[in-house]
Amino acid sequence: MRRYEGEIMRFLVRSTRDHNDALDLFQETWLRAYRAYPRLDSAAGLRPWLYRIAANLCLNRTRAHVRRSRVIAEHPAPDENQFSTAAHTNSHDGVIHLRAAIERLPRKQRAALIMRKFGGLGYDEIAAALECSCESARASVYQALKKLKVILA
Amino acid sequence: MDDLNEIEERLDNAAEVDPAAVAHLLARVHPRLQRALERIARPAARIGLIQSSVGPLFVAESDRGLLGVRFADCGGDTAILHAIRQKFDLRDDPAAADRIRDEIERALAGDHDAVANRPIDYSLVTSPFQRRAFARLRQVPPGSVVTYQALAAAIGAPSGQRAVGHAMATNPIPIFVPCHRVIKSDGSIGNYGGGVERKLKLLRAEGFRVDKGNRVPSEAVYGHWQSHIFCRPDCSAVRRSDRRKWIIFSDADRARVSGMRPCKLCCPIG
Repeated sequence: MRRYEGEIMRFLVRSTRDHNDALDLFQETWLRAYRAYPRLDSAAGLRPWLYRIAANLCLNRTRAHVRRSRVIAEHPAPDENQFSTAAHTNSHDGVIHLRAAIERLPRKQRAALIMRKFGGLGYDEIAAALECSCESARASVYQALKKLKVILA
Repeated sequence: MDDLNEIEERLDNAAEVDPAAVAHLLARVHPRLQRALERIARPAARIGLIQSSVGPLFVAESDRGLLGVRFADCGGDTAILHAIRQKFDLRDDPAAADRIRDEIERALAGDHDAVANRPIDYSLVTSPFQRRAFARLRQVPPGSVVTYQALAAAIGAPSGQRAVGHAMATNPIPIFVPCHRVIKSDGSIGNYGGGVERKLKLLRAEGFRVDKGNRVPSEAVYGHWQSHIFCRPDCSAVRRSDRRKWIIFSDADRARVSGMRPCKLCCPIG
């Protein structure tokens, strides 16, 4: 499991843009994975399985942020951005709006999108993580992109 | 499609991370994670595959004792791995596996101390009845056998021979929990998870001979494991008392070597 540390952390940083959140979610992901590991069937499914756990935690977590992000969007304050608490994130109004838009996607599309764009997973891995078909994974990402375009227009 | 390209580009920009920041986060999370994992950690199980005189074996041990032995050519190692994984963290440990192999080889060569004294971790045995059966079975000395019926009676379940049979069939730690020393009451050798050939081989290595039909030989004597006296099968002492307390040696010499005294009534020697 160790070898996926870096990429899961990167995934969480990209998905939350909040270093403290990413840290908490990483720890939670790892603990859940450790507990559930005995029930995992094969080692080949480890990577999508880890992403599934991490993505679910992200999805559950960001609900709380949706309310706050709407407030931020109305009163943009680049220095007090609640999404960046460390100096290394690059955040500006564009990113805030994008993230708020992502959080308005339906759950499956959001999961597929962040796995594809922030996790770099292949469609077969996304399918394994979401327990759907490859075509369904592909369609979910496509529909997510289309919807984002509408929301951000 | 151009429209989506713009979105994808924005996503790619949003996906930029500073690798140094990620490394920093990982460094911060490691000690926290370590402490949290220690609180929920499972005990370690050391596993390995060994070659022995009875074929390839999968072995597993915990800090409390031997967890499991599987005959690798009879399948069932994925099942036991899965069972162990539920309660333990697996670790490949060839050194530990080799130690187990050495104990087995010594036993096959006639020195049973290590095998008999090796502590067993019964974590994979869920039923208390089975644990009692296995613990009692370990007291049956090498060179002797016991019937399913006798073992059942010995653990307080006089009609439990089928349950005992099932326990033997699902024994996770053969050789060390000597289910090869359990035979049928009619004198036939019974079944064995690793194949009957192996059962016979293990028994032979311990000094228990079978006759040409793979049955208890006619020279067999009965030993009483409380009084440590052994008799012929037709001795009045055997007929009178509960036959089920007896263990069977294939001949008088074997019984004597095991520390039993000949019965004065039936004089099994000579």
